[in-house]
Amino acid sequence: MARGASQSQSTASATTTRPGVVAPRGSAAATAGMRRRRLGGGGSTGNSSVGAGGGTGGSNMLRFYTDDAPGLKISPTVVLVMSLCFIGFVTALHVFGKLYRYKSGGSA
Amino acid sequence: MGGGFRVLHLVRPFLSFLPEVQTADRKVPFREKVIYTVISLFIFLVCSQLPLYGIHSTTGADPFYWMRVILASNRGTVMELGITPIVTSGLVMQLLAGSKIIEVDNNVREDRALLNGAQKLLGILIAVGEAVAYVLSGMYGSVGQLGVGNAILIIIQLCFAGIIVICLDELLQKGYGLGSGISLFIATNICETIIWKAFSPTTINSGRGAEFEGAVIALFHLLITRTDKVRALREAFYRQNLPNVTNLLATVLIFLIVIYFQGFRVVLPVRSKNARGQQGSYPIKLFYTSNMPIILQSALVSNLYFISQLLHRKYSGNFLVNLLGKWKDSEYGGGHSIPVGGIAYYITAPSSLADMAANPFHALFYLVFMLSACALFSKTWIEVSGSSARDVAKQLKEQQMVMPGHRESNLQKELNRYIPTAAAFGGICIGALTVLADFMGAIGSGTGILLAVTIIYQYFETFEKERASELGFFGF
Repeated sequence: MARGASQSQSTASATTTRPGVVAPRGSAAATAGMRRRRLGGGGSTGNSSVGAGGGTGGSNMLRFYTDDAPGLKISPTVVLVMSLCFIGFVTALHVFGKLYRYKSGGSA
Repeated sequence: MGGGFRVLHLVRPFLSFLPEVQTADRKVPFREKVIYTVISLFIFLVCSQLPLYGIHSTTGADPFYWMRVILASNRGTVMELGITPIVTSGLVMQLLAGSKIIEVDNNVREDRALLNGAQKLLGILIAVGEAVAYVLSGMYGSVGQLGVGNAILIIIQLCFAGIIVICLDELLQKGYGLGSGISLFIATNICETIIWKAFSPTTINSGRGAEFEGAVIALFHLLITRTDKVRALREAFYRQNLPNVTNLLATVLIFLIVIYFQGFRVVLPVRSKNARGQQGSYPIKLFYTSNMPIILQSALVSNLYFISQLLHRKYSGNFLVNLLGKWKDSEYGGGHSIPVGGIAYYITAPSSLADMAANPFHALFYLVFMLSACALFSKTWIEVSGSSARDVAKQLKEQQMVMPGHRESNLQKELNRYIPTAAAFGGICIGALTVLADFMGAIGSGTGILLAVTIIYQYFETFEKERASELGFFGF
């Protein structure tokens, strides 16, 4: 909770100081500069090829998560390893299930 | 911030538990992206073949039959839920945010984080809810048959698969892979169906001896084994219950038409205000909203089917329920029902040209429904997703681009001449192509094909762009 509160405070202070720095340009330009479009050109990918390929309409409308969120950080390798482990786990379940049934069938 | 209570803040306590893929802190090279994409795809494919542990049977009616294609799910496997959780939560949140039911200030970093968190949380909750509903409703045999332990294991498997899909999608979108996970999985699933229907080596006994399921294999098999070659050819082209060569040719034709139409665009010249002489262009494609109209349309239709089927099973005598849809088990087995009356019947594609001739009103209604729904969804989507004329004008202004020969204030008006038209007309075209594909009996339903082609085309574009940027990098 404390973390969230401090974060919001810092962003608030940032927005208040920003127009002071670039005063004559007006606050609209400043906020526009800060604004990172969630749906537009994939912000976090770093390939900000402006102008021509900026927003080719529907090319990336299915992008749901592009921004950072404070959460359980995991690296991409961990995701892949985790999925492989899951696949292994289900396979193991199948194998053990077969063995167990075979055993109980044999004893009965 | 304005103070006061906001729905979004309810998510905050959960934020620290949600898995979150790190953002790439360096530029991921193209080769590495390809590798990540391929591994994710591999995991997805294995998951959609791996049967769930502990299920008793998967026979019986399949109420989700109509959704399987677009939701990349496979019955009785770990990917039973497919991408349903993500897509549903994503659409719900975007519609809620777009219609200002939840207020999201995109300028505030925390709000964006909360919205993403909310989406992910909702996705996981939907996965859990669906898994529990599946097991309790007896899709895999009743709970008594399964045993409590197995039932819990099934729920855990389904939930974990849902979380894995969410993570993989995020991994791909955060810049480690190409495109988005969702579209990758949908396209793969559809392509798999098409290839399988064309070359499947399984034999089916259809009364006239064993026949191959795959259209191409069946063609050769029939040509070789039958003595009457003309009859064999006709059989291979026009057999009813199994995929035939006509279907395959129709699929290829639709593929080519969509690719051809993808190239249609209006290019607006733009010029940078700061750097003199820097020219650019802003293309407005005919398929401005790409495959979004059909995704939304099929989401609507499949939900309607699902509700109507449930109601029909419970209260089949009721007038209102019958008005919504009457269902009958399919003659060719497969465990799914087909609509035979009510609204559900009229918004389903006619099964063949003969059927169309027999019920011209049905065909006409279907056509009108598809076209208007696609156009409407397309026009709504540009508003919701932030690609309307106003948003594009703002975006161009941020990048200090102007259109030569027009004042800056005129930019939006100029864009407004093209964008809504492109959206509506593009939606109609997409709808018309879907109808065409359905009438010609293309493999994997018209919706499926259109989704696959548009997604593959997008991938092709990203591929080219990545390659170009890589080359530019080395050119320095």
